Amino acid sequence: MSRTNLFRGSTLLVAATLLAGAAQAHHSFGVFDTTTEKEIEGDVVEFQWTNPHTWTWIDVKDADGAVTRWGLEGMSPNFLGRRGWSKNSLKPGDHVKVVVYPLKSGEPGGTFLRATLPDGTVKVMFGRGPQ
Amino acid sequence: MKLSSIVTPILLAALAALVVPPSARAQGAARSGGWAALDELPDWGGLWEATFAQGVRNEQPSLTSEYEARLEAYRAAQQRGDIQDTPAANCVPNGMPGIMTQPYPIEILFSPDKVTILIEAYSQWRQIFTDGRRHPEDPDLTFNGHSIGHWEDDTLVVDSVGFTTDTALGGSFGIRHSEKMHIVERMRLVGPDTLEIVTTIDDPEALTKPWTTTRVYGRHRDWTLAEYICQQNNRNFTTEEGKAGIDLNFEVDK
Repeated sequence: MSRTNLFRGSTLLVAATLLAGAAQAHHSFGVFDTTTEKEIEGDVVEFQWTNPHTWTWIDVKDADGAVTRWGLEGMSPNFLGRRGWSKNSLKPGDHVKVVVYPLKSGEPGGTFLRATLPDGTVKVMFGRGPQ
Repeated sequence: MKLSSIVTPILLAALAALVVPPSARAQGAARSGGWAALDELPDWGGLWEATFAQGVRNEQPSLTSEYEARLEAYRAAQQRGDIQDTPAANCVPNGMPGIMTQPYPIEILFSPDKVTILIEAYSQWRQIFTDGRRHPEDPDLTFNGHSIGHWEDDTLVVDSVGFTTDTALGGSFGIRHSEKMHIVERMRLVGPDTLEIVTTIDDPEALTKPWTTTRVYGRHRDWTLAEYICQQNNRNFTTEEGKAGIDLNFEVDK
């Protein structure tokens, strides 16, 4: 590895560590599997524009038509409101795809990373954008 | 004496009270001078958000053997899964020094005898007395401490004591401090929209030498503070034993 790459690598590592630290301000990510990105698809039940986290509730239908309600913890209104989001960014009834860090427990919940909205636009809430 | 001769003066007095301008009435509690002098201070207007400055690498604190042992025991408990989160998961504010480096902005207000720092995270504030007073002899122990400050040219020097030991210095709550913690912060502009805070912490029980860290804040003139009530919809929690959890009950608070 060249000196430049080594520097870049360590810079990225430091940046990642700092970002994790910032995101951990309120709580640790211990309950989430941050090594896995899972996509769920369904209808928005409610987008709770609240502190310390937004909560997005989505009804996901499986192949047999059974509905499971997912709860997705997201960044706060204070963070998102300064970065192009509002309480109206997701509305009840919106059919969306959301990429999440799922709960380790297997319960229907996770960290909200980014969403594909009904009009096809991708909105990033946390972490990197689509690759 | 007729009733009207009693009532009329009372009515007149009441009427007079209504027409006297507020400034004249407030003379008994005149506000202190010094407001014009604030124009001489540097412009710290707008909101400030902690950033990750290039080239700033902060060292870890050098702990005494007692506090090093406490940290090792804490880390072992984390490894075993006995401690999974910090009190912040239950909405307990960080206290000093952590409350100054949250991922939310702060606002710094000057008034003649005091600098007030409004901290969006957990809706906190700090008051820094700049009227020349000293710390109390035996201060109450609080999350944000008792702060006095003075200006050295364009640098605000803040001296704080009186901290509860319910808070931590870092290490995911594993690095603790004693009631003797003493913090000095030197705050100054290092660019048009860049505020630097150099924080030096000494603690004869916890640290073998003073611990200095530097944090840089970026200015956002167009931002305004937003409400942050952590208890509004907090579904994260940590038990008294330190186990972390999350409440997925949609119907809660309905």
